[in-house]
Amino acid sequence: MWKLKGENISKSFGGVTALKEVNFGIKEGEIVGLIGPNGAGKTTLFNVVAGVYRPDKGSIYLDDENVTNLNSHQLCRKGIARTFQIPRPFPELTCLENIMVSIIGREEKIHNSNEKLKEAKKFLKFVDLDNYGNILAKNLNLIQKKRLEVARALATNPKIMLLDEVFAGLNNTEIRDAVKLIERMKNEFEITQFWIEHVMGVIMEIAERIIVLDNGEKISEGKPIEVARDPKVIEAYLGDTDV
Amino acid sequence: MKKSNKNLLLVIFLGIVVCLPFLLDDYWLHVAILTLFYVIMASSWNLLAGYTGQVSFAHAAFAAIGAYISGILSVQMSISPLITLLFGSVIAAIFGLGLGLLCLKMGGIYLSLTTLGFSEIVHIIIKNEYEITRGTMGLEVPNLLGFYSKTAYFYIMLLVTFIIIFFLAKLIKSDHGLKFKSVLNDELAASSIGIDTVKVRVIAFTISSAIAGFAGGLYGHYLLLITPEMSSLSQMFMILAMTIIGGMGTLSGPIAGAVFLQVLSEYIRIFGKFHLLLFGVISLLVIKFAPGGIVGLYRKITQSKTDPLKIETQSKYDY
Repeated sequence: MWKLKGENISKSFGGVTALKEVNFGIKEGEIVGLIGPNGAGKTTLFNVVAGVYRPDKGSIYLDDENVTNLNSHQLCRKGIARTFQIPRPFPELTCLENIMVSIIGREEKIHNSNEKLKEAKKFLKFVDLDNYGNILAKNLNLIQKKRLEVARALATNPKIMLLDEVFAGLNNTEIRDAVKLIERMKNEFEITQFWIEHVMGVIMEIAERIIVLDNGEKISEGKPIEVARDPKVIEAYLGDTDV
Repeated sequence: MKKSNKNLLLVIFLGIVVCLPFLLDDYWLHVAILTLFYVIMASSWNLLAGYTGQVSFAHAAFAAIGAYISGILSVQMSISPLITLLFGSVIAAIFGLGLGLLCLKMGGIYLSLTTLGFSEIVHIIIKNEYEITRGTMGLEVPNLLGFYSKTAYFYIMLLVTFIIIFFLAKLIKSDHGLKFKSVLNDELAASSIGIDTVKVRVIAFTISSAIAGFAGGLYGHYLLLITPEMSSLSQMFMILAMTIIGGMGTLSGPIAGAVFLQVLSEYIRIFGKFHLLLFGVISLLVIKFAPGGIVGLYRKITQSKTDPLKIETQSKYDY
């Protein structure tokens, strides 16, 4: 039983094939890593799943419901949230307003604005930005922007979260904090996570399963330790080994 | 500036505005009424351009649609202008909705080009369908009140302006306003957290078209003669220049810009058509040296000494 499933997804831009017949599946509550060298098609796959691009071929299922042709905002309401590789909080809005947009975007029937505000503050606290509520998002530093973006995605009440290179540009201490945040996200909100990482280190420790893309094709899948030993993966990362 | 000080200034300003008919002669009262028309036009265009990032060139055309629909209905069917005014506004809103649905999915430069084309089409139709619109001769329309009084008209315009600005302020501070701003800030990110960006933009477009149509009707029933000049691009650029010079994306900006440019244009009237050229030059200078317009400049001066992290935000969600 897959929470999120992609079948034979293909996508090309002009003459460039970004994804070729990719199959993947994620179970409920799982943390799955998606790795691969530069230009492997990782972010393209995310954009297809999140509804930014329509796949040329193939289908995507969320809880066995075909969601291939839905738009981003419809997918979000179905429970798919995402973050971006380069964080994109709303620069001219305050941190609190950034999260309020998510809560408003749910279009729930509650109109009590105090209730909404209280909830927004809860998410801001979750990512330790409770002292920054009134500050414009453009004034935050990179790590704070990333945390704000995670909070904003969480505030949409997702079932599954797509995280695009959360660790890019962070130093070791910051990475440790981010890992803690991701573990808390799993424990407190019970969110299934699908996770892109460019560097293999950390993802090997956290992910339960890893999918490897290279040149738009899935070349390997399995437990982190198996994937790390897979000669195809080593070749993709280091080049041909038997010269 | 402290909030109490700000409120005091606002009260004084409003007091002066309310007393204007007793302070100004007939000619300047006429200018004041036209200024109020431009305040409404610039404010509603600002809802589009300043809050949702859609640069539409059809705003003057929507005002002309409102004016002509209201004018034609009141002339040919002898309905009271007080009622036809609403018809004008509704028809403008319907055109706005249609144009919005047609081209808002494209966004950006395509939206601007499509609205530019629409505006020209409206202009050409009004000019050439002279059996209905009387073409370039202009359409004579009845007075809104049935009698002619500049003072009365000033107060009507003032009341409408107040109501519209109040409505816009409420809208912008509401949840819808926050959606508008999120779309302006980052469309991709907004749609990723469940905001239907196309719907948000169509709503803003329709509201602003309705306001433009209503303002156009009021303008027509005041001047008593409406001409195709109303839908011309020079009108549109006037509104554009007012919003930019005043300060886009702020409530007070379009008001300041409209008052400043309308009064200025009275003094440079001797240059004839060249006054638009001057407006263009001022707009360019503003964009280059004070991108926030008059209001941005004012804020910069009053807040320059404070820490950028402590700048008072206009958020209603106070932490």
